[in-house]
Amino acid sequence: MPKKIRKVFDQDGLLAQVISGYTPREPQIQMAEGVAEAVKLKQTLIVEAGTGTGKTFAYLAPAFASTGKAIISTGTKNLQEQLFHRDLPVVRDAMSSHKLVALLKGRSNYLCKFRMDQYGKTNRGLDKAQLMELTTVRSWAEGTSSGDMGELKALPENAKILPFVTSTVDNCLGRDCPDYDGCYLVKARQSALDADIIVVNHHLFFADLALKDTGFGELIPDAETIIFDEAHQVPDIASEYFGQQFSTRFLHDAARDIHQIYRTSLKDIEQADKIATKLAALAADFRLAFPEKGQRGKYIEAIENASVAETLQRLTETLHTCVDVLKVHIGRDKALDNIYERMVQAKTNLAAVTDTSVLGVSLWYETTMKQVVLHRTPLSIAEKFNEIAQSPKRSWIFTSATLMVDGGFTHFQDAMGLHSAKTMTLGSPFNYAEQAMLCVPRLLPEPSDKRMLGHLIDISKQLVRAAKGRCFLLFTSHYMLRRVAESLQEEITNKILVQGTTTKQALLDAYLADSTSVLCATGAFWEGVDVRGDDLVCVLIDKLPFAAPDDPLLQAKIDDCKKNGGNAFANIQIPQAVITLKQGAGRLIRDETDKGVLVICDTRLATKEYGKIFLKSLPPMRRTRDLQQAVQFLETLKPQR
Amino acid sequence: MTQVIFYQLDNAATPAAIPAELAFACDVVAKCYRTNQKLTVLCADKASAEAFDELLWQLPADSFIAHNLAGEGPVGGAPVEITWGNESALRATVVNVAMQDIPNPNRYKMIFDFVPTDETAKQMARERYKTFKIAGCSMQFQKAAEFN
Repeated sequence: MPKKIRKVFDQDGLLAQVISGYTPREPQIQMAEGVAEAVKLKQTLIVEAGTGTGKTFAYLAPAFASTGKAIISTGTKNLQEQLFHRDLPVVRDAMSSHKLVALLKGRSNYLCKFRMDQYGKTNRGLDKAQLMELTTVRSWAEGTSSGDMGELKALPENAKILPFVTSTVDNCLGRDCPDYDGCYLVKARQSALDADIIVVNHHLFFADLALKDTGFGELIPDAETIIFDEAHQVPDIASEYFGQQFSTRFLHDAARDIHQIYRTSLKDIEQADKIATKLAALAADFRLAFPEKGQRGKYIEAIENASVAETLQRLTETLHTCVDVLKVHIGRDKALDNIYERMVQAKTNLAAVTDTSVLGVSLWYETTMKQVVLHRTPLSIAEKFNEIAQSPKRSWIFTSATLMVDGGFTHFQDAMGLHSAKTMTLGSPFNYAEQAMLCVPRLLPEPSDKRMLGHLIDISKQLVRAAKGRCFLLFTSHYMLRRVAESLQEEITNKILVQGTTTKQALLDAYLADSTSVLCATGAFWEGVDVRGDDLVCVLIDKLPFAAPDDPLLQAKIDDCKKNGGNAFANIQIPQAVITLKQGAGRLIRDETDKGVLVICDTRLATKEYGKIFLKSLPPMRRTRDLQQAVQFLETLKPQR
Repeated sequence: MTQVIFYQLDNAATPAAIPAELAFACDVVAKCYRTNQKLTVLCADKASAEAFDELLWQLPADSFIAHNLAGEGPVGGAPVEITWGNESALRATVVNVAMQDIPNPNRYKMIFDFVPTDETAKQMARERYKTFKIAGCSMQFQKAAEFN
């Protein structure tokens, strides 16, 4: 079969017959053959495929050519849709495959008729805006066949009605639900079960694998091939799901739902309603015991604060009482039974996330505006994942443009416990030396120096002027982002788009709409943004993206590494920063004709010995330290429109 | 005793845009860097310091040399520091790309210097050679082509 795959990609092959102007790319064929072989022999394969290799087709073709079921998992919902609606049909048609394909999203993307009706009946607890949104949802609900909320474009991504018309693991009644037969989620899962190729995302995949969501666990066992695209994200996402969490949000949601039941179906559960209200109040108090500004930190440090410890104590006791009270009513109302079960689970989770005696895990907390989430995260998933990957025997494919650090896969293999996996590296077909320039400007202060701000503003202005907009300015901190964006808004006339003012997609649309605009962003834009051609000719990065030292999970991993005599900086922090930087740099050159400049305002790339690891891991761009060279190069890149 | 090595440059295979002493000094610096020998590269002026910085920065990633210009970099400097116009802040090992006199050469452990092909510059190199010798340094002379 691996040989057969070549026929798909040849000059007169199957793809050439459906894509006009198709040219075979040798690295893509190599990857397809590698994947096909791994699928056939049920092997694990890790592939770094540089930008422009065409890795999507290179794994889709073997998936269609294989005889068994395949699951393809990618990073986000958007990428899932792109893969399913754009790339997958091309390969399927080219190969004249009759395989059934399905797109499966996470639970919160599907309409829950039961909850919609529950809230639609009384309208209580909803504000005016939510009521209007509810009307929109209800009229759409009449006609939808998929129940995928994504169809409802009229509703904003973050509409406040969404939690009331979709379900969570916590409030889903499962088979006990009166609407079970018409449940869109169940239907979507059923069609995924029937399909030969299923497109999911990493979060969904690992939720299922870790059995954190019920009723879906039967999907993975059947798959003979599991393919991860954007696989560099997998270690972090996987460890999230192999741990436990306890969120105050659950208590608020449960209290609200108990109140709703008390009001509609069980008028005599006043005691339960009262205790639930008290629980919600304590959850709010618990949040107030932390500083107002959202933060993350170690659990053991949090409970040094007397009021945090005391509120947590009372919260725990009340949760136990609540479980006891609800137990009395078991069997009377399906929704209430479900809340009871979830409360019991929450009790177990709370015990887990506060148990300081367990080794090999990090206990940490995270506060948002209104909630506190306590986490227990395993420091390593290597052993656990290795077991999963060993049995049953099947093929696992991991691919991404950014898996290698310093020319090797050790970092990824260590994290995933995949030491015996085959690896493969495919260079990008781009001519980076011609197409791109990397500039680390001279004589900048050290990154933490206060004077950096002035330099960043000055450099940004020069670049924006030379490039006539068309820049991404990427920052490692919100503070720097805000300050630089403010100055630019005052001092230059180009439109400055700032992350945080609207959704990611809306910002990107605005960026593309105005060909002279500048986008200032942090984290979210370092990855998964695909702006081709002239609209993006310059990416500025303020400093090497070492993870924030306040990340408690990272801290725990570092401590653990040191305890075992390892060099945490070399083994953990550098690889992480390398992958992030590669992602950020990857925004610049997206196809053969793209040109551009990457400016990294961090002299450590030149002055520190570890600069070598970063340079070796970045695409082979022409290098300069002279900002004027970068400016002149940008000036030659005339806008086409 | 201070060791001074003069290298006789030849114009053989250096790209026209890069002065021969800079190109050759790059090899000398690379050798010291591989043996963890911290050093200062003394340049004639800012422009030539920046040209040398650019040379090091453009080396293939596998031959990376961590370096800084005077005025940037971590406290204590990178393994290789490039400086100009300030002969008092030198490290024990000096690469004299500036091809100028170094006051009190006895303070240093090792000085690398160069004899260019240009006649005037060659004459100046002879003068420096004498000055170092009078100061009591141990002198060596080598052809650049024989450097390894």
